[in-house]
Amino acid sequence: MNAFFRKNLLSAATLIVILIFFIAAAQGMNSQDFVITFLRGLSVGAVTFLVASGFSLIFGLLDVLNLAHGTLFMIGAYIGWTVFVRPDTFADLLTPFALILSGFALRDMYPLLSARVRLGLRMRRILPWALIIVSVLLLGLILPRYPIAGWNLDNYAESPVTYSFMASQGTPLPPPTATFDQISPALAIGGLLLASLFGSFGLFLFDQSVQRSPRLSWRSYAGFVVLLLVGLIAFIFNSALTAFLLGLNANWLFFIAVIVATLSGAGLGALMEATLIRPLYSRPIYQLMLTIGLSAIGVQIVQAVWGRPEFVMPKPTLFNGSGASCPATSFSSWWQGNCSTILLLGGRVRTYNEIFIPLIGLLVLVAVWILLQRTRLGMIIRAGVQDREMVEALGINVRRVFTMVFALGVGLATLGGALAAPSMGLSNAMGESFLLNALIALAIGGLTSYPGAALGSLLVGLIQQFIIKYGQIGISIPFTSIVLKPTPPIVPASTVLLMVIILLIMPNGLLGKKE
Amino acid sequence: MQKKAFSFFHNNRASLIVLFALVLLPFIVGLFEGASPIVVWENQGGISKFVEGLGIEIFILALYALSYDLIFGVTGLLSFGHAMFFAVGAYLTGIALKSFALSLPAVIGLVFLAAILQALLFGLVLPRVKGITFALVTLGMASMFHIIVTSSELGNYTGADVGLQGVMVPSFINPANERLRFYFVALVVLILIYLLYQRFVNSPTGRVCVAIRENEGRAKMLGYNTFAFKLAALMLSSFAAALAGVLHALYQPIVSPNVADLSFTVTALLIVLIGGVGTLSGALIGAFVYRLLDFGLRRYIGENASFITGTIYVAFVLFIPYGMVGTWRLKSFRVAQGWRRLLAAFKT
Repeated sequence: MNAFFRKNLLSAATLIVILIFFIAAAQGMNSQDFVITFLRGLSVGAVTFLVASGFSLIFGLLDVLNLAHGTLFMIGAYIGWTVFVRPDTFADLLTPFALILSGFALRDMYPLLSARVRLGLRMRRILPWALIIVSVLLLGLILPRYPIAGWNLDNYAESPVTYSFMASQGTPLPPPTATFDQISPALAIGGLLLASLFGSFGLFLFDQSVQRSPRLSWRSYAGFVVLLLVGLIAFIFNSALTAFLLGLNANWLFFIAVIVATLSGAGLGALMEATLIRPLYSRPIYQLMLTIGLSAIGVQIVQAVWGRPEFVMPKPTLFNGSGASCPATSFSSWWQGNCSTILLLGGRVRTYNEIFIPLIGLLVLVAVWILLQRTRLGMIIRAGVQDREMVEALGINVRRVFTMVFALGVGLATLGGALAAPSMGLSNAMGESFLLNALIALAIGGLTSYPGAALGSLLVGLIQQFIIKYGQIGISIPFTSIVLKPTPPIVPASTVLLMVIILLIMPNGLLGKKE
Repeated sequence: MQKKAFSFFHNNRASLIVLFALVLLPFIVGLFEGASPIVVWENQGGISKFVEGLGIEIFILALYALSYDLIFGVTGLLSFGHAMFFAVGAYLTGIALKSFALSLPAVIGLVFLAAILQALLFGLVLPRVKGITFALVTLGMASMFHIIVTSSELGNYTGADVGLQGVMVPSFINPANERLRFYFVALVVLILIYLLYQRFVNSPTGRVCVAIRENEGRAKMLGYNTFAFKLAALMLSSFAAALAGVLHALYQPIVSPNVADLSFTVTALLIVLIGGVGTLSGALIGAFVYRLLDFGLRRYIGENASFITGTIYVAFVLFIPYGMVGTWRLKSFRVAQGWRRLLAAFKT
């Protein structure tokens, strides 16, 4: 027991300091303020955790400092908004995306195909470029003519802001319809498929490191066939799908939106890793430049597609009720009235922001924990974080695990974005602030430690919210009559200061392992 | 004697040609407009004044990037707080000139002291944290500085969110009336610091810094006190960055809090990566490319410029793998061979 204490003296001391902080925080605050602030802190902490955990997984296994993570979080929010507020746009987009991705699902077949290509050295160097240029040209020809019902940034009445506002009022605008323009549908579909095959094969040819061809089985084709079928079915039953999604209960639609945002984030992450990050493992510092560049591109794409103004995604109906029985007094009465607020210990708590998001955060925490601790993939990831070379030497295909972890990390970030959209709103700058929050949280908790990411995010969220609250009510310093009111710049300063102090005492963070 | 002098000119002919071109640049640009060199000398040419301004900005940026390259590229310390070095110089100059009306030599002395102090502040954490943790700690320190500078309590001195405005620039170096002189001052400062850095990197001390970048444990085992070498590099770097800040505050009589931001450190990082990590000349070329790219895209494309800049960065990383100078050094032999082959083909 004595030895145990001596070993964990530092952790125990920090825990005590944190406890003292909370006791001090509870001073001078009535219980309802305390409950609300605490739950708000949990909410911010949960979203920060979703960004930070993915970042930490990627950094731990791949040694990639993904500075585009905040931008990906933001993209997740915008994707979630699109599916939730404009399901018709989503239904229109499903076909081209499924078709473009289908080529990449045939990855296992390409080594065979490239072995068949018998060309001179010079032609072999030109071939991938030629394929990619043809693919880009095809896409550039077809996509502008492909009918996608969207919004119009130049016209305020048809802008995302208006759609979002009308949807939150419960009277969504009738969606516009789009038809094929100067191109026959069959030609468009065939062209997209061809562009996808050319592009993916061209990108594959760049990657010279893969030499041996894996054995082909039904799995090699399954992904391709599934994507092709999804694309074709979504195309044939486009209007039926749109009508179905528009008629769907908003809760289910929200569920679908979150799932779609997560999956598309995972797909984006896998694509990023396979095409852009992979050539850079030998020159680690240059990934910083790459991810900074990608982040700038991402922000610009979001600005071009969804516009600059901020808007708020409406909440699902489960958390949006405001009937006679609201605010709900207990969870059962909330279930009947679907109130947007609930009375807890005398405080009015917003059910979506302060109850739902922390619960989802907890769920993800447990799910990823189980994935890491109880599955084979998780075992490989944990081993890889500890010693990558050894895992490679044991004959495990770490490359594939890299792609999976990158997809998982980005998927977690986009999940966080989609969840945060109804509570925090969508803006072009949301990514940057959460990236900084996540970095601070990770530094506090330990850069590559998964529980550390959770603890750090929790601390960052709680401290920020308590400081904001004290900015409103003021702290009375004991034994004096002075009331100190922290000014807004203190909010970021407090967490940054905490980070610096903790890193100076424990360079590996609270839960990080010593090297 | 004669031969030695000749070989000096021969070995450095590229740098000397560039230097000569930079000295003559304002006058040559003036000629395009029809302004004789005398008009340019009297600071009356329109277009040449504009080019001088762009040149000064590039020199300041190059000086700043050079100082980042010394700690990041040569010594291998990844710092996310470098903007603080620059901002301290800029803010000190602005406040000393505006609120205390000090003379310029006194300001530079003050900045020198401050540069040493902040290098010591970074040095304080050096033995405890390494690698990415050092980057985060420095980020934290720079953020604290940014928050202090933008806080309203110090608004009288720093101008809070708006930034420090109306720096009283001494008239003999005022960029509005004496821009040509400012141009040459900035150029001379840049060259002096560059030569100093070049000497530092090629000195035994600099060699140890490179060894620390390559493998700190091994350098330590050879008996070098790596902390002292890192601190020396930090001090040199801090001084040059603060000097760049001084020039910045004098040139734009405004100091905005953006120069203390993380994104300004990222600017230095990008410039160094564009030019080539660890190559001092890369920082200069990188600053030139970065500023012209930024300026050109903003002017001709406008708001969506950062999409193209982002794409260019990605393309850079993929196709110019070690930065401009780094890749050139790797490939110059092959390129030279290719040229020779081409010329030979023409001859026959």
